[in-house]
Amino acid sequence: MQVVRRSALAVAGLVSAGLALSACGLGGGSGGTESQAAGPVEGDVEGSITFATLQLQPTFTEYIEGVIADFEEEYPGTEVEWIDVPFEGAQEKFVADAAAGTLADVVNLNPNFAQPLVADGAFVDLDEAAPEVEELYVPGAYEAFAVPGEEGHFGFPWYLTSEVTMYNQALFEQAGLDADSPPTTFEEMYEEARTLTEAGAGSFYGIHPALENRVATDLAKLDVPLLNDDQTEWTFNTPEAVEHVETLAALYQEGVMPPDSITQTHAQEIEAYQAEQIALFPSGPNFLTIVRENAPAVADNTAVAPQITGERGAANMAVMGLLVPRTSENQATALEFSRFMTNAENQLAFSQIVTVLPSVTEALEDPYFTDTSDGTVDSLARSISAEQIATAENLVPVQFDDRVKNALVGQVQLAMQGEITAQEALDQAVAEANQISFGS
Amino acid sequence: MTARRWFTPWLFVAPGLAVAVVFYVVPFVNTIVLSFTNARALGGGSFTGLDNYVRLAADETFWRAAGNTALYAVVVVPLLVILPLLLAVLVQPQLPGIGVFRSIFYTPVIASMVVVGLIWSWLLRSDGLVNYVLRSLRLIAEPLPFLTDSWLLLFSAMFVTVWKGLGYYMVIYLAALANVPRELHEAAAVDGAGAVRRFVSVTIPTLRPTMLLIGILSTIAAAKVFAEVYVLSGGSAGPGGRAATIVYQIREVGLGLGGEVGYASAMSLVLFVATIGFTLAYVRLNRESQP
Repeated sequence: MQVVRRSALAVAGLVSAGLALSACGLGGGSGGTESQAAGPVEGDVEGSITFATLQLQPTFTEYIEGVIADFEEEYPGTEVEWIDVPFEGAQEKFVADAAAGTLADVVNLNPNFAQPLVADGAFVDLDEAAPEVEELYVPGAYEAFAVPGEEGHFGFPWYLTSEVTMYNQALFEQAGLDADSPPTTFEEMYEEARTLTEAGAGSFYGIHPALENRVATDLAKLDVPLLNDDQTEWTFNTPEAVEHVETLAALYQEGVMPPDSITQTHAQEIEAYQAEQIALFPSGPNFLTIVRENAPAVADNTAVAPQITGERGAANMAVMGLLVPRTSENQATALEFSRFMTNAENQLAFSQIVTVLPSVTEALEDPYFTDTSDGTVDSLARSISAEQIATAENLVPVQFDDRVKNALVGQVQLAMQGEITAQEALDQAVAEANQISFGS
Repeated sequence: MTARRWFTPWLFVAPGLAVAVVFYVVPFVNTIVLSFTNARALGGGSFTGLDNYVRLAADETFWRAAGNTALYAVVVVPLLVILPLLLAVLVQPQLPGIGVFRSIFYTPVIASMVVVGLIWSWLLRSDGLVNYVLRSLRLIAEPLPFLTDSWLLLFSAMFVTVWKGLGYYMVIYLAALANVPRELHEAAAVDGAGAVRRFVSVTIPTLRPTMLLIGILSTIAAAKVFAEVYVLSGGSAGPGGRAATIVYQIREVGLGLGGEVGYASAMSLVLFVATIGFTLAYVRLNRESQP
């Protein structure tokens, strides 16, 4: 009996010890802060580099491998090793790599992922290393890789998306709405969502909140200042923000949105749209490809309209970029490869595979982005988003990281359930966000 | 000759020791050190004394998570001590085909928690099978918000933990039941004890050490519960994260590019101390109550 008790204790002790280890972190500082001499990067374009992308395999394997082969052919003596990082867990990988000084020579990041690493001095400043590239890119996209408090621009903008309003025309007709006149304002969208839900009577709904994807962007579109001018305090608890959250709460409580949608993400929003459970789907036109793959009948019923914006009319865009870490031992090749990957020709080819937009102004001028003569919804989506992109901005500040997002989304969920008021929710979210970002 | 061989035993344990030191001892010490710093995921941070613990004491979110974790243990541990025992007694007799039942009860154990969580999240959706059945039986008029009400979500997660853990603890009980001396049962039967009486007066006292072991193991499992809540809620821990457990909260605070590693380390150290404390108290209580 004694033996059993002793082994019980031993097991308990061991497992408990394991518990405390589960949250262990990184003791050392970042490896990215080693200072590099400022100025253009010199050196020959040769040798091997590594290239890390965010979740592009397997869909785009052929394209990426093709561009790599072209680069290696154009610059003999170079070799590019491609690593694809799944989106889930990517942040953790980049943190660990940055701390160990082993980031790939060219890293594919969005501005929010890049921000803390840039602030930590991890990446080469293109204003110094390659000042000539700035004029090649869409201004809003190049600006997306600037970080408050840091001089310079740190990323070659790569592919862009700008949300369009997709909607299911069959469900619109079923609800007695004009299938050829989609909503153009938030008010119209919510009103039509009500009509749609009523017509659906439980079998389909008007709209999905996808809070994690949309709530901050929508606040920014409604001219709510997310951060103060000094970038020292979150400020998304203005009366306009309260009004927006009250609207969301009313819609949810009236049953206009699916009951489980309150904690769901964009991924479930796509599923719901594909399953004809929601009629309105404001999202990047690149998701049309996925809808067509998974639910061709729904894709056939889908029509597109311009992104719904606030009074100022500023459209949002999502940016992906390529960044070169200071720790890279082959910066010359890494910079040249980034330039090559994002040049007009290669980006144009990429946007012909999937409905994304190139960040190079020259490529955007290609007739491919204005020609809708084939009458497909894809070409219409492409032309609408290309038209938007010229003036679109990355509306959400780069400091709006996952934890700040969770703080805001969590409180908005409570307000939508009616547990707290919209004002209380936003005040609490701002307090939490300030604690997370600024420790105050 | 013998003098030179003092290190031989060390050579045998060296590989295991190296793994333990590198993967357990060093990170453990690192966690303790980090808990007294303001380290972030990027950057080493500086020593801040007890600041993290002071902040923790006033952190409502942490205490809510601690309360949820404690509730989890209070509900799940008794169920995981008692239900697998009843199950083991049921499947213990050597009857034809009984192996099939044992295997079926054990199946959830070998399934991945993520897969199990996803399946249950489909079943428990507002338009899922469970709500459909309840509505068809006219037990409810409106679907129950299993996944969007914090309490229901927490209890759903507990249910999944129990459902998945039954088979594992059942196997432990089966092994222990095989060791219960048959003579004791026979003697009790001769004395006129029925099946229930024999179960209460013979089986349970003999299985007491096993029950203690399972109590401790399931308490520790409950203290570190994460996957059930995470997967069922789609990563949100319910509206406002109100169904969060301590480990969920540690992950929330410590992970990502902006992760507060120092603060998260303080949380995990508190969890560690609490778990060890409960375990010791459990063992002591048991020892004191023994005749």
